[in-house]
Amino acid sequence: MKKMYFLLAVAGAGLALLATTTRFTHPKYGFTIGTPEIKSINSLAFGPDGVLFIGDSKSATVFAVDTKDAAATSQAAAIEIKNIDQKLAALLGTDAQNITIQDIAVNPLSKSVYCAVQGSDGTPVLFKIEGDKITAVSTKNIPFSSVALNDAPAEDAKDKRGNPVRVAAISDLGFADDKVLVSGLSGKEFNSVFRSIPFPFTNKQDQATLEIYHAAHGKYETLSPIRTFTTAEIAGKKYLVASYTCTPLVLFPLDELKPGTHVKGRTVAEMGSGNSPIDMVTMKKGGESFLMMANSSRPVFKVKYKSIETYQGSLTTPVEESFATAGVDFVSLPVTNVIQLDKLDDTRMVLLQRRSNGSLDLWTSSERYL
Amino acid sequence: MKDICNQVAKREKIAPYVRYGLVFFAFVLIYGCSGKQNDKITFQWKDNKATGVFIPKHIIGNIRPDSLNLIEVSLVTGEKPVAILGNYNAENNAVLFQPLIPFTRGLHYDIRLKGEQIARFEIPPADPADAPDLSAIFPSQDTLPENLLKIYLHFSRPMREGQSGKYVVLVKNNTDTIRGAFLDLQPELWNENRTVLTLWLDPGRIKRDLQPNQTLGAPLQKNAAYQITISPEWQDETGGKLLKNYTRTFVTSERDSLSPKPSDWKITPPKAGTSQPFKVDFQEPLDHSLLTETLTILSENGVHIPGKWQIGPKEKTAAFTPTQPWNPGKFKLKIQPKLEDLAGNNLNRLFDRDISRKMSAPDPPKNSFEILFAVSE
Repeated sequence: MKKMYFLLAVAGAGLALLATTTRFTHPKYGFTIGTPEIKSINSLAFGPDGVLFIGDSKSATVFAVDTKDAAATSQAAAIEIKNIDQKLAALLGTDAQNITIQDIAVNPLSKSVYCAVQGSDGTPVLFKIEGDKITAVSTKNIPFSSVALNDAPAEDAKDKRGNPVRVAAISDLGFADDKVLVSGLSGKEFNSVFRSIPFPFTNKQDQATLEIYHAAHGKYETLSPIRTFTTAEIAGKKYLVASYTCTPLVLFPLDELKPGTHVKGRTVAEMGSGNSPIDMVTMKKGGESFLMMANSSRPVFKVKYKSIETYQGSLTTPVEESFATAGVDFVSLPVTNVIQLDKLDDTRMVLLQRRSNGSLDLWTSSERYL
Repeated sequence: MKDICNQVAKREKIAPYVRYGLVFFAFVLIYGCSGKQNDKITFQWKDNKATGVFIPKHIIGNIRPDSLNLIEVSLVTGEKPVAILGNYNAENNAVLFQPLIPFTRGLHYDIRLKGEQIARFEIPPADPADAPDLSAIFPSQDTLPENLLKIYLHFSRPMREGQSGKYVVLVKNNTDTIRGAFLDLQPELWNENRTVLTLWLDPGRIKRDLQPNQTLGAPLQKNAAYQITISPEWQDETGGKLLKNYTRTFVTSERDSLSPKPSDWKITPPKAGTSQPFKVDFQEPLDHSLLTETLTILSENGVHIPGKWQIGPKEKTAAFTPTQPWNPGKFKLKIQPKLEDLAGNNLNRLFDRDISRKMSAPDPPKNSFEILFAVSE
């Protein structure tokens, strides 16, 4: 019997040691080692120390995985891969028409490009691109953590009607101020889901669920789901710069996005009809910052944050009909059909573009676009 | 099953491969015949998808488990072969190669050893008998409001995503194709098993006064006939194409600018001691998907009554059949306010509200709506 107790004690000690080892991997982020059950990869965003956030619409979950790709590079090399869809398809043993590139994200430390691909059967694959080398990123036995978006949130995180909105599709993912920002769409209700989830993830789901309104011309007020977003500092204040399925550009002060609140954003521009925003990034050059925005049927737009800042005082008043053309200064870059966009460094972007010859190319923009 | 496998084996066309010359073909047609066979290339099947290939030892020779990286599988393209990424595992008499995504039906693949082609196989095309079907389109009513917001497509099998823009077309009066009628969403709004797709008629065009609405107009106009067509080219997740071309015709009526009002609903209470359904008539069609999850029956003191809801024709009615016969007493129909009509107006708010019009203040939002009813003998 004594022997048994001894064995139990040893086993217990062993387990404790194992648990410690696991925690030791990333004491900061509460990761455990295992194989995350990732059913789809729709959005990618990098956090600190090479942590990659993966937005999985199918399981309505955000995974944080340690890519162990955290060595900082000071000189990021430009990336140029022609016909990347064909190259990825060949590695997956199929034709380019049978895969979809879901998102790209540049690791801000190593400057490698991470690329989420989906096969026609729905299987997700994560690739890492360094120079012209493409490798698959294994998600087996890696340090990770996750947060489910459709778990019943805390009482204060429910909307005013007392029912949490279920996320059917994650439309964008970001990381700012130690928080993972997620915008999602419900497959049934016409509603907006925007959550700000503290990272490292905790068991306590003190996430913010927001219903965001925007006013068009100060006349009609409706809910609207966010399509893509970025964060930026405008006149010393941090903002969520969101682009909509209905109207492109709306600003929200980040500090107002609190659990259970309803925040009214203000439209600063409508950027054209028959168009949907795809991706947005904030770039910097010579002390000035710019919002770069890829669109479904328009060229890439460049907006000076200074122009938006000039209108800081009027952001809380209804937007005049001619506001977009009269106020905020937009430049259309000579770059069309950009499907994905991320920043390589302050002045350069990595773009996934369908060229006029039909080729889908991944390339790096130079400073002159700013 | 054995018989089927034998039949399949007879249908398999296998030409023995002799190094430096002939080409090896293997066709395995039916799920269920997976597994290792000693002398043939066979496939590992899962949900009708070829997730792996068993390469028999006699093709690759006696290869050491630590030298499996000498084997490569690549797509036959006519260009320089590219090794497909995946895992190689030595099994009893074969090596199992599992690519990162399942092999594509109808495509040919080469097996290479030290860079030299030693065999070729084809993944059989999808069986037409397994063709997916479009089982329903909601709303099912023929007359729809001009500010219709959503259309649901129900399929019999999991479908390939990201294809609706290519394969779903809206045509007005049999002549004009309405471009950009549906919102181009990436990712699309599928249910978890990819059998139900939600399509939004571009809300930017429905919302009054937004630029898309001003320049392009609303996607639908009242008093017109529309056809929604779903192309048979749309493939399911295994590559099987839809059974046929599907067309639904509907006509449009006035804009719906009113929230559904439970106080106007007509109810038919059942009799105690029976399992008759409790019936509710909404007096208008409501959103099919939301109806399936927003209605519950509670006892007077709030205990959930188990049973089954059935949505009636044109989504205008619903009927609840209890698991146990009704006890006499008072009950409540509880409705979640997120229930919407066909124009996206829910119980608490309208899809788009004209805030410049000084109307009487809207009712404060409620957490739930309830209709009381009594069950008696």
